[in-house]
Amino acid sequence: MKHQDVGETSPKRSVRQTTSSLLASSIPYVGMVAVLGVLVLIFGLMSRNFLSLTTLASLANQIPDLTVISVGMTLVLIVAGIDLSVGSVLALSSAVVGALMVDGGWPLWAAVPACLLAGAGCGCFNGVVSVYARIPSFIVTLGMLEIARGGAYLITDSRTKYIGSSVEWIGTPMPGLFVSPAFLLAVAIVVCGQLLLTRTVFGRYLVAIGTNAEAVRMAGIRSEPYAISVFAISGLLAGLGGVIQTSRLSSADPNAAVGLELAAIAACVIGGTSLAGGRGSIISTFFGVLMITVLQTGLAQVGASDPTKRIITGSVIVVAVLLDALRRNWGKAHD
Amino acid sequence: MTSIHARSWSSSMLASLAVMASSIAAGCGGPDVDSQPTDGAASDHPRVALIMKSLANEFFSTMADGAQQHQREHAERYELVVNGIKDERDLSRQVALVEEMVAAGVDAIVIAPADSKALVPALRRARDAGIVVVNIDNRLDKEVLEQEGIAIPFVGPDNRNGALAVAKSLEGKLATGDAIAVLEGIRTSFNGTQRRLGFEEAASGAGWEIVDSQSAQWEMSKANTIASSMLREHPEIKAILAANDSMALGAVAAAKATGRGGDLLIVGFDNISAVQDAIKEGRVLATADQHGDQLAVFGIEHALTLLDDPEAKVEDRETPVDVVTAETLR
Amino acid sequence: MTRSLLETRGVIKDYAVRVLHGVDLDVRAGEIHALLGANGAGKSTLCRIIAGLTRSSGGTMTLGGETYSPRDKQQAESCGIQIVQQELNLLSTLSVAENLFFNRLPRRLGVIDRGALRRRARVALDRIGLNEIDADTATGTLGVGQQQLVEIASALDRDCRVLILDEPTAALTGDESRRLFRWLDELRSQGVGMIYISHRLEEVTRLADRLTVLRDGRTAATVAAHEVSPDGMVQLMTGETSDESSHAGQWRSHAGSHSLLRVVGLSRLPMVDNVSLEVRAGERLGIAGLVGSGRTELLRAIFGADRAEAGELYLGEDPTPRRFDHPSAAVAHGMAMVTEDRKQNGLLLSLSLLINTTLCSLDRFSSKLGYLHRRAEASETARLLESLETRCTSIEQAVGTLSGGNQQKVAVAKWLLRDADVFLFDEPTRGIDVAARRRLYRLFDSLARHGKGLVIVSSDLDELLETCDRITVMSAGRVTGTFDRSSWSRDAIMRASFAGYRRSGEEVA
Repeated sequence: MKHQDVGETSPKRSVRQTTSSLLASSIPYVGMVAVLGVLVLIFGLMSRNFLSLTTLASLANQIPDLTVISVGMTLVLIVAGIDLSVGSVLALSSAVVGALMVDGGWPLWAAVPACLLAGAGCGCFNGVVSVYARIPSFIVTLGMLEIARGGAYLITDSRTKYIGSSVEWIGTPMPGLFVSPAFLLAVAIVVCGQLLLTRTVFGRYLVAIGTNAEAVRMAGIRSEPYAISVFAISGLLAGLGGVIQTSRLSSADPNAAVGLELAAIAACVIGGTSLAGGRGSIISTFFGVLMITVLQTGLAQVGASDPTKRIITGSVIVVAVLLDALRRNWGKAHD
Repeated sequence: MTSIHARSWSSSMLASLAVMASSIAAGCGGPDVDSQPTDGAASDHPRVALIMKSLANEFFSTMADGAQQHQREHAERYELVVNGIKDERDLSRQVALVEEMVAAGVDAIVIAPADSKALVPALRRARDAGIVVVNIDNRLDKEVLEQEGIAIPFVGPDNRNGALAVAKSLEGKLATGDAIAVLEGIRTSFNGTQRRLGFEEAASGAGWEIVDSQSAQWEMSKANTIASSMLREHPEIKAILAANDSMALGAVAAAKATGRGGDLLIVGFDNISAVQDAIKEGRVLATADQHGDQLAVFGIEHALTLLDDPEAKVEDRETPVDVVTAETLR
Repeated sequence: MTRSLLETRGVIKDYAVRVLHGVDLDVRAGEIHALLGANGAGKSTLCRIIAGLTRSSGGTMTLGGETYSPRDKQQAESCGIQIVQQELNLLSTLSVAENLFFNRLPRRLGVIDRGALRRRARVALDRIGLNEIDADTATGTLGVGQQQLVEIASALDRDCRVLILDEPTAALTGDESRRLFRWLDELRSQGVGMIYISHRLEEVTRLADRLTVLRDGRTAATVAAHEVSPDGMVQLMTGETSDESSHAGQWRSHAGSHSLLRVVGLSRLPMVDNVSLEVRAGERLGIAGLVGSGRTELLRAIFGADRAEAGELYLGEDPTPRRFDHPSAAVAHGMAMVTEDRKQNGLLLSLSLLINTTLCSLDRFSSKLGYLHRRAEASETARLLESLETRCTSIEQAVGTLSGGNQQKVAVAKWLLRDADVFLFDEPTRGIDVAARRRLYRLFDSLARHGKGLVIVSSDLDELLETCDRITVMSAGRVTGTFDRSSWSRDAIMRASFAGYRRSGEEVA
C-alpha cells in the first residue's frame, strides 16, 4: 500500500460528511422571503388595510388550489417533463364534482373520490403516453389540455354548476382558526411533497432521472414507473385543486383555471426549479406561489389597472428568476 | 357572388369541411350537407348561419339551443348552421368562420361578434357577396360601420338600460352616500362598457359612491380574488355590482370568506342557471335576464324578414331585458 | 539560446480555492513541450488560460515577446493559439465539413458556399491522412477516435503558432496515433510550438523535446525529455521515489474453477458478431481490440443496455439461457457495469457524491416505505470513498467538480456498494491520473481475490497485460483470439486485433 498517496502531496483529508444544518438548508429561502417581505411592505404602504389579519386570512384562503397544482408541477419539472394540462384537468375535476352533486345528487364524500380519480386518470394518460410512446410531455399534455377542457364542457353542458353550502366548508375558515381545511391540506401536501422529494427513494430517483435518465438506466433502474407516477400525481393534485376551487367558489365552473398551468410553472421557476429537470424544491415553489398570490391580491387591493397588473406581475417573475440565477451563480463561484 | 373569385382553389373543399363541421356541431337537427354549396343551395329554404362567441359559455350555448329549437319548430322556413369559437377572444377564428360561411353560400349570417370593430370588414365582404347580415348580442361599432360604409342591423337588448334596471333593484336597500364597488367585464368589450355605464348611471342617480371598480375579465375565480381585495381595502362597501353572473358568484364566495356573507348585496347580469340558486338562497339579490335563449331567435327572425323583403328598411330592434329577483323566481 | 515563443510567469488561478500557485512555462518555436502532472495538478487549467477559455487571476504571459492576455478563445485564436481539448467539442448533427469550419464557414453573399466548403474540408482531412472520411457525413456517426482526429484537423487547418493538445491520443488507435505523430513532427519542422498533455509516458518519451511537470498547481521541474525515463516522470509528478513502475512481479491469479458468466454466440450486428466468452470466479478477463472493434457494444449487449439479436448468457451453474432486455434485469442477476463515458451515462454530474454512490443501493438505506436513512447513507458513502482514496471536500459536493480520476472512483464506488458477481469495466482508466489508476488496479486485485468475475475493456494494452488473467481480442465485432499469461505477447495480440479487418478486407478484394 505504498502508493496510495501517489500524486497527492498535500496532507490527506478524509472524506467529510456534512449533515446539512438547519441554517444551511434555509439559505436558499432567504432571498425569496426578502422579496416577499418587500412586496408586502410596498402594498402595506400603498393600501389602507393590506397589513391586517384579514388579508392574511384571505391569502390563506386563496392559495390552496395553486399550491397543490404547483407541487405536482414541481415534481413533473424535476423529471424534466412539463404538464400543461393541469388547469384543464382542474376544470374537468371541478366539473365532475359539480355534475355528480348537482345533477346526480351524490354526497360530497362520494363525489370527491370520483373527481380525484378523474384527475389521476388524466395524469396517468399523460404519463403512459409520453413515457412509453416517447412523445415529449409538452405535446401530450398540450393535447390533454384540450381534451380535459372539452370534457369539462361536455359534463357540465357548458353551464356553471352552483353547488352551494355543501362544499363550502372545505374552503371556509374553520371556527376558532382563521384558516380553512383546504389551506391545512395544502400545507400538509407541501410538507409531504418536500419530504417525498428529499427523504425518500422515490424522490431521489426523480431527481436522478431528471438529471440524466440514461445514467439512471445504466445504473439498473427502470425509470418508466417513476416518470408515469409523477404525471399521475400531478393529475391527482390537479383533481384536488378542482375540489378546492369548487369549494372556494361554491360552484363548478367549466371555464375555471384557464392559464393556471402558466401560473404554476411561474411559481416553480421563481422557486428555482429548473425547466431542464433535476433541480427543484417544493418549499421554494410554495414561496413562489405566495409571491404570485401576494402580487395578485395586493395589486387588486390597491386598485391597479389591468395593464399595470400584468406588467408588474411579469416584471416581478423575471426579477425573481434573475435573482435566483444570480444567487446560484454566486454559489457556484464560491463552491 | 362577386367576392368568391377572391377565394383560393381550396374554397369548395374548405366550405364543405366547414358545413360538415358545423352540422356536427349543430347535432342531428342540423341541415342536410350540400356537397356543392358554392353552386348555390339546391334547397328552396334560405340557409341561415348563426356565428356565436364561445359555445362553451353557457350564455351562448343557451342562445344556440334556443335557435335550434326554433329551427326545428319552423323547419319549413329555413335551415340553420351554428358555429362558435373556442375562446371568446379568438377574433381571427371568428373572422375565418365568417369567410367560411360566405364560401359555403349561406343566405344570411346572424353573428354575435367577438369584437365590435375587428369583425366589421369581414362582414362587409359578406354583405358584398349578397348575404344578409344581422348583428346580435355585442353591438358593432358605429364609427367603424360608417367608415366601411355599411349598415348592419342590431337586434338585441340595451345592456346599459338593463344594467340600470338591475342596479335599481338596490334602491331602498342602500342609502344615499353608501359605498359600492363594480366588477367590470373585459374593458374592450362593448357590452362590458355598457353595463358599467348603466351601473354608474344608477349610482349617480341614487347618490351611491363607487369606491372601487376593476375588471375581473368576466371570470369567477378572478372576480373572487378581486372582490376579496376590495372588501378588505374598503370594508365600508355595502354592495357589489358585477357585470355578469360568473363574477357575481365569485363575489358571493369572497363575501362569505371575508365574513360579509350576511349583509353584502350582490347583483349580476345574464341570469345563468347557477345564479338562480344563489338568488333563491338570498346570496345574490338580482340579475338581468336578456332572454338569452331568444336573442338568436330574434336575430334570425329579423334576418328572415329581410330575406323575404329585400326592400325592408334596415333598422335596429331592441329586445326586452327583465330584472330577476327572488320574487320573480318564485 | 533558443528564444521562447510562449512564456508564462507566475500564473495564478483562483476558483473557490487557488488551483494554480504561480506556474512558469516556456514553449519554444519548433518544439513539442510535454506538460505532465497527476489529474488535478493544474495542466488543464493552465492550458485553458493560455487558450483564452478562462482568465488568470495573476501572473503574466508573453507570446513572441509581447504581452499576451487573451480575453476569450477567439482572441487567442487570432493570435495563433489553437487548442484541442480532451472532450469532443463537435456538433454531432452537423457534417464533418461544417464542424471543421464552424465559425469561419466560406460564404458568398451571406450564403454558405457548399462547394468551397467541401473542397477545403477535403484538403484539411487529407492533410492528416483522414482520406477515408467523407466530408459530408454527419459527425455523430463517426467513431470517437475519428471524431478526435476531425477536431485535431480543425485546429491544424487554422494559422497556428502554438498548438495545445490535451490527451489527443486517448481515443485513438495505434495507427491513428502514429498518423498524428507524423503530423506533429512536420508541424515542429515548420516552427510551431506545441504543448502536449498525455498520460501515456512512452508517447512523451518518443515525441517531446522538453517536458514540464506540474504538481499541485506549481511548476515542479522543466527538463529535456531524453534526460528522464517514464519512471522518472512518475517520480517528478508524485514527488516521491517509486520503486515499482510495473506490478508484474507482484501479480497473482485468483481465478477459481467455476464459471460465473458464459456468453454464447451473442450478436448485435454489425458491431457484435457471434461472440462467446466465459468468466470464472476470481478471474480478470481483459478485452483488447482497436477502437471501434465492438468491445463497448459487447458489454452493453451483455448488460442489457442494448438488446442482443441472438445468443444467450448463462449465469453461474444455472442452466437457464438468458438475455437481458434492460440493465435492471442484469443488475438483478448480479451484474455491474462501469461505463466508458462517465458524463453521458456513468454519473449524475450535477448531483452529489452521496447520491451517485448510493443510487443503485437505495433499498439498503431505506425503510419498507422508501424513507431514506440518510445518516447510514452518508457514513457508508464516506467510508467507501475514503477507502478508494477519493479526493473531495465533502460528500455533498457535486461529482462534476471532481477530477476525472476521482469521478471514476465514484462511478466504481456505486457498484462496489451495490455489490455484484460480475463486474464489467469499460475503459476504466481512460483520462485518469496515475494515482487513481494504481488504486483501480489494486481494486481489481481485491475484487478478484473475493471471487468476483471481472471483464475489463481497455485500449491500453499495458494495462490489460498488467492486470488480467486472460485477454480476449475483438476485431471487427468478432473474437479473434484469447490468450492467457503463459501464451500472450504484444505481437500476437496486435496481430489478432487487426485480424478481423484484414479478413474482411480480403473478402472485399
